Amino acid sequence: MESSVRKFLYSLFTMFLAVSAIFIILRATPGDPVEKILGPEAKEEEIVKYREQLGLNESLGDQYKNYLVGIVSGEMGKSLFKKKDVTVLIKKHMKPTIVLAFVSISFATILGTVFGIYAGFKKSGLFDNTSRIISLVALSFPIFSLAPILVYIFAIKFNVLPVSEWGSFAQGILPVLTLVIPLSAVIMRVARNKLLEESGAPWVQVLRSKGMSDLSILRRLSKVCMPTILNVVAIQLSVVLAGTMITETIFDIPGMGLLLFEGIQNRDYPVVQGVIIYSTVIYMGVYFIVDFVNEKIDPRISA
Amino acid sequence: MKKNKINKEIKIGFVLISSYLLWAVAWIVYSHFIKGEITSPYFPESDMTKELLRPGVNGFMLGTDIYGRSIIEILSAGLAYSLGISFMVSFTTATIGIIVGYLSVTGNQTIKILSDLVINLIFIFPSILIAIMVMSVTGQSFWGLVFALVITGWPGYAKIARGETLRVMNISYVESARAVGVTELRLFTRVVIPAILPLMMVHIVLGVSGVIISEAALGFLGLGGSEYSWGGMLAIAKSVLLEAPYIVIILSVVMAGLIIGLNLLGDGLRDYLDPRKSFSS
Repeated sequence: MESSVRKFLYSLFTMFLAVSAIFIILRATPGDPVEKILGPEAKEEEIVKYREQLGLNESLGDQYKNYLVGIVSGEMGKSLFKKKDVTVLIKKHMKPTIVLAFVSISFATILGTVFGIYAGFKKSGLFDNTSRIISLVALSFPIFSLAPILVYIFAIKFNVLPVSEWGSFAQGILPVLTLVIPLSAVIMRVARNKLLEESGAPWVQVLRSKGMSDLSILRRLSKVCMPTILNVVAIQLSVVLAGTMITETIFDIPGMGLLLFEGIQNRDYPVVQGVIIYSTVIYMGVYFIVDFVNEKIDPRISA
Repeated sequence: MKKNKINKEIKIGFVLISSYLLWAVAWIVYSHFIKGEITSPYFPESDMTKELLRPGVNGFMLGTDIYGRSIIEILSAGLAYSLGISFMVSFTTATIGIIVGYLSVTGNQTIKILSDLVINLIFIFPSILIAIMVMSVTGQSFWGLVFALVITGWPGYAKIARGETLRVMNISYVESARAVGVTELRLFTRVVIPAILPLMMVHIVLGVSGVIISEAALGFLGLGGSEYSWGGMLAIAKSVLLEAPYIVIILSVVMAGLIIGLNLLGDGLRDYLDPRKSFSS
């Protein structure tokens, strides 16, 4: 119990550092956001007004203080373009992103684990060899090239699935598929290699020589592989987060990714900053939860 | 030293990468010496009268894009750009990573704690988001892009370099070198770097493919450093998917070929260096 509290405090501290790092990187980046927003023909008074609105005219220390207070209290400024609070916009766009990421991660974990363990169990068999080539190819098509290809195949060529909008089950299939393909390929490779690594262990040989059936051994082996697989899922979370955002822009899903994309196009600096801070905090929260669950099922990590 | 066999992955990866490099060199020669000058290299220009020609029409081998540019030319320019930026970024990030990784092992307590903290922190950061944020401040500029990719890329290398440095520090000849009082700089350049370089090379090869993907992702979101970013071209091609699906397919396949080549080469080299860890054969 005490270690859980310590871990929780530690993750809060890491989040604080992460949020501070974003501040430092933003201020250390060459270039002036106000000039970027207004363009080269901006008048002097306009620049001064915008600086004031963004709080960039204060001292660095005050900016940092306002920045931290803003994040905690949820006051992240107003969108320059939509004239709404950034926090309100983010709350509105959060749900599709979370649903999409959660569904994709669940499917990919199940598919990747089952296929990977089966491939490793029947090593060098037809399934193993085919799936290895397929996973290599799947990993070589980044999401933004995979998605248009899937759209072409399923929506244009065979016309079986809708392309854009969001809400119905059928509309969710292509975006989820886009995210599941690369993620399950990664998980599959890891699951397969971990299974092969473990199947040479002495305890497996003992069970085998005592006459335990292949299926029972496989069940025990799969259990041993789970922490490794979950760990990969945790590491892949940031890839999934970025992937979800890119997928949203392709399929017009009104999530955080689309909000970010519109923010970039409209040079809506507060929105871009807000989306990135919020998604970093959410991402880190999920990362720590997965890490925590992992520790519970595998006592070796905490030892 | 035991000789390992050159495996299939290395061979296929090597052939693929060599062909892409040859292609890029051929394009640079063509654009700088044949069609253009060194001082003003040739770039594919838009010609609206020739928009969206199918492959093979009017002598355009792969057709034209929505601006009427020859697809094979913009693909080539994109390849040269993509390889250039990813080599540059990977070399810089690996160098920073190796130095920080080394210092985090041999430096004093403050340096150790500080570098550990920074490495672990940026490592679990969603790096593409940080790159997006940096690009939204610098605007679409080449050096802004390099800055964004470098600042998010080096901790990965530092983490590996730290582990590797820790490993080689315990090897007897490194201990001997320290015992006879070799200077810090000499130890780093003559003993540690040669010992950790082979494994770092594996990660650099895999890292190049990572940079190519990140760069294309930023380009796709409209934050690229050049109009010849493959990601940017894909974003444009996506909008004419209905009329000209072949553009997306050609771009994707060419990009995937390069990534497959790099990944195969990287995986193959890793197995070659450490056959015990190989389960792929």
